[in-house]
Amino acid sequence: MTTEHFPEEEYQRMIKMCLRCSVCKWIPQVQIKSQKYASCCPAMDIYDYHAYSGGGRIILALAYEMGRVKPSEDLLNIVYRCTECGNCAIACKYMNTLEPLEIIMRFREKLVKDGYGPMPQQKAYTEAMKKVNNPYNEPHEKRVDWLPSDIKVDPDAKLLYYVGCTSSYRRKEMAIAAARIMNAAGVPFNILKDDEFCCGSPVYRTGDVESFKVQLNKNLDVMESKGIETIIFSCAGCYDTFKVDYPLYREYNFEVLHTVEFFEQLIEEGKLKFTTEVPITVTYHDPCHLGRTAEQYEEWAGDELKLMPLVSINIPPKPKNIGARGVYDAPRNILNKIPGLKLVEMERIMEYSYCCGAGAGVKSAFPDMAIRASKNRIEEAEDSGANILVSACPFCSTNLQDGIKESGSKLKYYDISELILMALGLEPEKLKQATAGGS
Amino acid sequence: MLDKDILKEFQDVVGPEFIDDGDVMTNIYAYNWCTEFVNYMEGKEPIPFSSVPKAVILPSTTEEVQKIVQLCNKYKIKFKAQSTGLGPWNQPSTDNSIILDLRRMNKIVKIDEKNLYAVVESYVSGAQLQAEAMKYGLTVHMPGAGPMASPLASHTSMAGPGFTSPQTGHSARNVLGVEWVLPDGNILRLGSLGQKNNPDWFIGDGPGPSLRGIMRGWVGAKSGIGVFTKVGIKLFPYPTDTKFVMTGHAPLYNFEKPDYIRAYVFDCKSWKGLEKIMLRVEEEEVGFIVSHISGLAVMAIFSYSIEGLMDKMALGVLKNPLLVVMGARTKREFDYKQMVMEDILTEYDLENIVDTKYVPEKVFYAECLRANLGYHGFIATGGFQSAKGQADAAALCLRAEKTNIPLKQKYIKKEAIANDFGEGAWMTSYEGGHFFHMESPTMFNQSDLKSVKGMANYMDESNKQDLIKHLGAPFFIEGDKLHDEWGPHMMNYHNWLRKIKAAFDPNGVADSGFYITAKKEGENK
Repeated sequence: MTTEHFPEEEYQRMIKMCLRCSVCKWIPQVQIKSQKYASCCPAMDIYDYHAYSGGGRIILALAYEMGRVKPSEDLLNIVYRCTECGNCAIACKYMNTLEPLEIIMRFREKLVKDGYGPMPQQKAYTEAMKKVNNPYNEPHEKRVDWLPSDIKVDPDAKLLYYVGCTSSYRRKEMAIAAARIMNAAGVPFNILKDDEFCCGSPVYRTGDVESFKVQLNKNLDVMESKGIETIIFSCAGCYDTFKVDYPLYREYNFEVLHTVEFFEQLIEEGKLKFTTEVPITVTYHDPCHLGRTAEQYEEWAGDELKLMPLVSINIPPKPKNIGARGVYDAPRNILNKIPGLKLVEMERIMEYSYCCGAGAGVKSAFPDMAIRASKNRIEEAEDSGANILVSACPFCSTNLQDGIKESGSKLKYYDISELILMALGLEPEKLKQATAGGS
Repeated sequence: MLDKDILKEFQDVVGPEFIDDGDVMTNIYAYNWCTEFVNYMEGKEPIPFSSVPKAVILPSTTEEVQKIVQLCNKYKIKFKAQSTGLGPWNQPSTDNSIILDLRRMNKIVKIDEKNLYAVVESYVSGAQLQAEAMKYGLTVHMPGAGPMASPLASHTSMAGPGFTSPQTGHSARNVLGVEWVLPDGNILRLGSLGQKNNPDWFIGDGPGPSLRGIMRGWVGAKSGIGVFTKVGIKLFPYPTDTKFVMTGHAPLYNFEKPDYIRAYVFDCKSWKGLEKIMLRVEEEEVGFIVSHISGLAVMAIFSYSIEGLMDKMALGVLKNPLLVVMGARTKREFDYKQMVMEDILTEYDLENIVDTKYVPEKVFYAECLRANLGYHGFIATGGFQSAKGQADAAALCLRAEKTNIPLKQKYIKKEAIANDFGEGAWMTSYEGGHFFHMESPTMFNQSDLKSVKGMANYMDESNKQDLIKHLGAPFFIEGDKLHDEWGPHMMNYHNWLRKIKAAFDPNGVADSGFYITAKKEGENK
């Protein structure tokens, strides 16, 4: 697989094909259950102008190619006020063959190449990543500060836990929980410590593909030198980047799993046994990077057959990523196995889940947008009847918790790994806090 | 861009964040689907961009709309209002125009389940309103453009067929009370909403003469006669139970079929047979969808990709297909309707291919209920538009369809439009077969210049053919040029339309690119 998954001629063809139908503003039409939660696009919900929709961005890409608009602050604000959550693409591709998310990403890439993108805050974190291997500009040597002394790490293990920048520096509880769960299951695992570098996702999603490739090669060089067989990720963003984006530029020979997939296996194998009641009502937020955008591009080497003028088909049919192969069942299966826990669903779930609002550089460049999107999601979680919101991504965790704080919501937030620890009886204090105030 | 002082006045109305007169925003709003061939038909460059508006403004209340329109009158700037915005009708016809994007006016004001109507603002979509109405066991006349389109726009300002028209009628027949910002900046409240005492939305006509004809006529004024900010629209019993349970993933969701729903597709074998059977099915009032579509369209409504469509070639051989979808709320009702359909099938020796020769995906039934079938027209080439648009007796609609086949085949031969054997058509009844709608969906490629030009020429020739062969007015007779061509052949209606325009829009500020201007009679001759 190469970057040819979306050739330039496809980009040029598709940007002329938007129907301007507004389908991209809503979850798939047949999934709409209420007016309140019909929308799929955080940017549209916040900025209202059509320009902020998937279709609006396609039109802007066309206007840029045609020379009708020149790079400007206005243009960059529209292009970068998007979390690249891909919900517009799911709605569009329900019937159409356009690729709104691919177009948005390619447009950003072009703006970076032309010397205009990304946004200043994103440039700053790109520089930090280059300098200290993380976008938070934290000292590289503190990357493993999260690691408690009682957690066993096996330097010879071929199973690697790739912690990621956000869990290492900001959401340490997630890293600790993942590591403790593996210890509890008796699974030997290694971590890279000083040899772990940012996966590159934060820069890739702003269009800086060249900086991304540097990170990719640094990481893959290390992993290959250590003979890693399986890597697990508690960060949905890192997972998606390794699973979906890395193979577009360089192939590798190890297995990639998110912790929810891995922990589900451990539960199935009887290595993790839930012993403690966790009497809470939770709702699960599907991270975009674990769901709809976590589908690998499938190789296609078929032929395009022109059946008649203007009508061609692909033989065999070209695989279409439409969110169906995201990781949706594993987290739900885990939650449903936790004794006493009740899972209730929000209206927008799985491939049409509403984004937390943080991704693709938005949290950094447009923090207000990130918070407003998060508050929308918090309201939906509250309306589900749950009093605990759970997810499986440190970046979603940060932004959703910020949203809870800003909105004054009574919701509590936990990562799914923290709930697993509670069910294993390893976090009695946290369990007490989670159940305080009733389930 | 707007003059700085004028911009400031608009900003004072909506707030600075809700008006944008920059190049980037205005160019984005200059784009729309099918604008390329409309441009070509008007002798302009065949690109998908119309005139660039001076600004885009997003009001949130009727009062803000009123103030904007008053400013447009003050500065002689035209305005074009749009809601969900599909199609070239949303585009300004001059660069001295602003676009009112009504996106922020998105409230469902009320659902009156006892009196069977809802009141909505401009940007509520069909799917949104239906989802809320379903909570009361009700549904709405869904826009033919699809569930993502605005019922307010469809009901007040556009042509009016929809897939559920046999049950829910034509858009014009669904309009109740209306709140209307006239082009001069006054607010007019139609029907029972205009009553002095206890104004409400339950009827659109009176007191006094009805203005419904002036407001929208048959195909709507596309914002050429003001801005509609709220509308009361009829609600209908939902055809089945309203559980609407969906599992699985896109696009082939596992839809739990309601208890009582059934689809029929059969070949009526001849035009005469089709007419007779369609009228008979309608007379019995058993289907909430009764649509005649071509063989290729039968393949399309069951498909979710071009490859999937081509797999269904066996269905394409149907000569004069009819699709009937029935729903019921009780077993008794369902049994009765099925018996009626069985009688019709037996009487006319018809074979239902659904569940015998072809089992539709479960999501097909969800799409029937949500009125999402029209979207399948885009599968083959990514773009289509309809010629025709007659509203008349079944016989005339079928005559229009038949006479269009050789014309379409001519353009298929030229490789300008995709090959549907010339038969691509959609015909539905309204209100149990009291009248009918026919249009001729045509697949083209909007990114291919030859196809765009061919589509434009075909549309033009199709319009002319309708005129010469007395097939009634197509629904895209819009703008001065076409009205001037058609008016003299149709009792000079265009002169009356101009009088209405002049009376309601003395300064000519409601952009009339897709309506009619008030220029003096004969001025164009």
